[in-house]
Amino acid sequence: MEGKNIRKRFITGEVEVEVLKGIDFQVFKGEFIVLLGQSGSGKTTLLNIIGGMTQASDGELYYKGQPLHKMDDHGLTLYRRDEVGFVFQNYNLISNLTAAENIRLVREIAREPFTVEEVLREVGLEDWANHFPSQMSSGQQQRVAIARAIVKNPDLLLCDEPTGALDIKTGIQVLNALQKLHHEYHKTVMVITHNAEIAKMADRVFYLKDGMLDHITVVEHPLAPEEISW
Amino acid sequence: MVVLRRKTWRDIRENIGVYLACILVIAIGLLIFTAMSVMMESLERAQQNFYREANFADGFVKLTGYPESKINSLTYVPGIRQVEGRIVKDVRLLDQNQDSNRYLRMVSQDMTNPPQINKLHLLSGRLPADSKPEIMVDPQFMAANHLALGDSVTTIIEGNQAVFYITGTAQSAEYIYVMRTAQELFPSPKDFGIAYIPLNSLKALVKEKGQVNDLVFTLSSGTDFESVKESLQSELKPYGLQSIIARKDQTSHAILDAEITQNKNMSKVLPLVFLGVAAIILYTMLKRLIEAQRGIIGTLKAFGFSNREIIGHYLFYPALIGILGGLLGGLTGIALSFPFTILYNQFFVLPNLKSQFSLKYLLIGLALSLSFSLFSGIRASLEIIRLEPAEAMRPPAPPQAGKILIERIQLFWQLLTAQAQMGIRNAFRIKVRSLFNIIGIAVVFSLMTISWSMQNMMALLTTVQLEEVQKYDLKFQLSRLSAASPVRLDLSHEAGVSAVEPLLEAPATLRNGWRKKEVVIMGLVKDSSLYNILDKNRRRVEVPANGVLLSAQLAKALQVKAGDLIEVESPLRRDTLEDKKVQLLVQGVVPQYIGSNAFMEDKNLQAFLRQGEISTSLLVKIKQSEVARITSKYRNADNVATIESISDSSKMIKELMDSYNYVTWLYAVLGGITGFALIFNSSIIILSERKRELAALRVLGMTPREVLRVITSEQWTLYVLGVLLGIPLAYAMEYGLAQALSGDLYSLPSELPPIALLGAAIGTACSVLLAQYRAYYRIKSLPYVEILATRD
Repeated sequence: MEGKNIRKRFITGEVEVEVLKGIDFQVFKGEFIVLLGQSGSGKTTLLNIIGGMTQASDGELYYKGQPLHKMDDHGLTLYRRDEVGFVFQNYNLISNLTAAENIRLVREIAREPFTVEEVLREVGLEDWANHFPSQMSSGQQQRVAIARAIVKNPDLLLCDEPTGALDIKTGIQVLNALQKLHHEYHKTVMVITHNAEIAKMADRVFYLKDGMLDHITVVEHPLAPEEISW
Repeated sequence: MVVLRRKTWRDIRENIGVYLACILVIAIGLLIFTAMSVMMESLERAQQNFYREANFADGFVKLTGYPESKINSLTYVPGIRQVEGRIVKDVRLLDQNQDSNRYLRMVSQDMTNPPQINKLHLLSGRLPADSKPEIMVDPQFMAANHLALGDSVTTIIEGNQAVFYITGTAQSAEYIYVMRTAQELFPSPKDFGIAYIPLNSLKALVKEKGQVNDLVFTLSSGTDFESVKESLQSELKPYGLQSIIARKDQTSHAILDAEITQNKNMSKVLPLVFLGVAAIILYTMLKRLIEAQRGIIGTLKAFGFSNREIIGHYLFYPALIGILGGLLGGLTGIALSFPFTILYNQFFVLPNLKSQFSLKYLLIGLALSLSFSLFSGIRASLEIIRLEPAEAMRPPAPPQAGKILIERIQLFWQLLTAQAQMGIRNAFRIKVRSLFNIIGIAVVFSLMTISWSMQNMMALLTTVQLEEVQKYDLKFQLSRLSAASPVRLDLSHEAGVSAVEPLLEAPATLRNGWRKKEVVIMGLVKDSSLYNILDKNRRRVEVPANGVLLSAQLAKALQVKAGDLIEVESPLRRDTLEDKKVQLLVQGVVPQYIGSNAFMEDKNLQAFLRQGEISTSLLVKIKQSEVARITSKYRNADNVATIESISDSSKMIKELMDSYNYVTWLYAVLGGITGFALIFNSSIIILSERKRELAALRVLGMTPREVLRVITSEQWTLYVLGVLLGIPLAYAMEYGLAQALSGDLYSLPSELPPIALLGAAIGTACSVLLAQYRAYYRIKSLPYVEILATRD
């Protein structure tokens, strides 16, 4: 994936706010990228543009050579359907569907999906398939959200503060699940966080500041989740 | 999309009450639609079949006497296909109870050469034998008088007693709706029936030897009735022609047709009212559902669900409601059409009148219900397309906050509790939804006024007509057109009689250009004290010395107003070809609730008819204690055909109306259910939107009742605005209803009494209260700790 001069402006009434002020980046297949920055630095907006959730106001974005910035709503829908898996800070599970049903919902629109059992096993929740979100802990809910994101077998997994609402123990469980996917299935994973410790398990870290990509660091020896703490 | 369906079912189960309420409102609309449509189709089918089977006449002629031998010659009149003559006579029944006033209309049947027009449908028993004292009667008369085959009835025919044995019951296409006069409004089978008697048996008893006093004819296809009428008028005038009327004006047919037309119109309008309210409920409910599931929609979009798939998911809710409501209403409507069609038999005796399962109306109903449901669903879910997934993931911008207009009235605002202030602000801030709810309440309110206004209309119809217009106690119908003075003189010397006035009722054709109406012109004496013509403020209007007064219905049909000229002709007028038509000045237009007449001064009408000082009846004001004596004395008089008692008619109509009062209350009940559904839905929406605030109030120590006030104050605000909007709507509905139900036979006054508005306001308030009562239990069981502990 390659982004060139990505800009995003929001207009509220008569006020125009530029959230991204021209970002250039490249992401390679199978990389584990962490986007780090303070609140309001533009992390979520950039992730949303990468995930086809919204269009950039300016700039070019290519995924596997396809210009995402030229795609219409239908093209972006197919891109999200076939290529991207999302994990949200607040899990966004549908409360009146069980864990397995939340996953099956997404599986129904996928082309080459994993089975529900497989992904639940991957996140260590094979015994919780028939539980509703309200019957599970926060960590378990986030792992269901990860299972739901990966069941489509997407090449790109985008996670917005996946541990933001979790304590350290459950946070590590979730990060483990993400790293396992990255290692075993060679998925490209991009994780947003404002927690600098998590950056230690990435291949590369994008530092965002005031809507700009401040700098990129390469992590020579990524750590396992158990080796970090916050 | 198996899992999304599962989500739908669970969403529905969580708020089953609101969905059921909505299904119920749709079902009510569809029930009315299918029941009325199926009933009217059955009525029309039975009517058409019977008319075909009976070879129902296209024209009806009344005259004094026409030679039997000449009847066949009338077939040479261009356009006439068949013509037959009969003797038709109203005869009084002689009862043990001398005061009773029962009549039979004897209609002769040629047994040797059975009639080919208006052929009878034998329902039970056998045909009477020729020249024998045997008759068949209509089934309603038979049942109402507890008669059986073989029973006898004693009649007075032209002053002589005659006993007839009942051999069977039969039905004629001419008397599907049996009324003695068009003024009676309702059938009274106990007091009046039709008897079919062999021509030879009747001939032996009446003076019309070798003559008939009634003709019926059919037309060749493509013939214009008017041209035939013209030819017949000149042919029949010398024989005492009284009237030639087309099938469309024949009383029984006109009433049956009006019933079918009115109900068909109602079956189109009323369901739309209910479906409209259902659409409001569905729209607000789905809009809230979609707002509440904004995050879910964002998630689905993020995972690649297309707009079509997501909208399809949210349209499944209204589609399901539409189908279930449509099926429930449609099937119940069809089921109810069976007993209701049977009820119709009380008024309209039509052989083989029965309802049938109608796939057509079930499918039309379903399509109607689905269209309304899907329309509201599409309106509510359009925003989904607009939302970018990233935007959908964020909570919506909070509604604009600021002072509302009412807050500026400080004195009033300060009087309100904090909960009331919250509720009222909410009502004014969510403008579109509030507006929809106000419209819904206004519709419910105006629906409820129908109950009172219908009763008021019917009460006015009868009290004004029978107590203020017709001031006489008895009406002596003379047996032939004659000078009324001898009988008048006799009557005026009777004890207890305080006034006697002659009345001349003349059939006539009124024309204004191509518009024309067949009417009866009432010739009233100057300064009549027994028949009042009233204006719309119920002030007496004098019958004009020159020209004519027209009923409002008549003026509307002819498109004339006071000051216009109309052409008048009458079969009773002794005229020459050159001056057949006379122009009369319309002096005024007056409301008339029963019947649709023109009014002239009798001298004026007599001068127009050129038959001298003639009358058709006498109106008598008499002490009630003398009624029986006078009736008994004159009922057999040779020149008195019938004696009508106003108090009898009034009593009968009132009794009948009382027994049908429940039908008018139906609107109040249906309106109440709709109002309940509307307000209950609104409560659930407010609960879902504001659950965190309400939970916080509970945690702060407020009782469920205190928390409920947030919801109720919003709803009472909407209620007040809804009722205010409902008042003009109720007037419009009342006017529309009066117009739709008015015809030549009667015209309903459009007047909405304050009690109707008050009653509807109370009725609507009751449905609001009932819905709030349900909401109270929701608040009572609100898991406030859980709500506050979870994120939105």
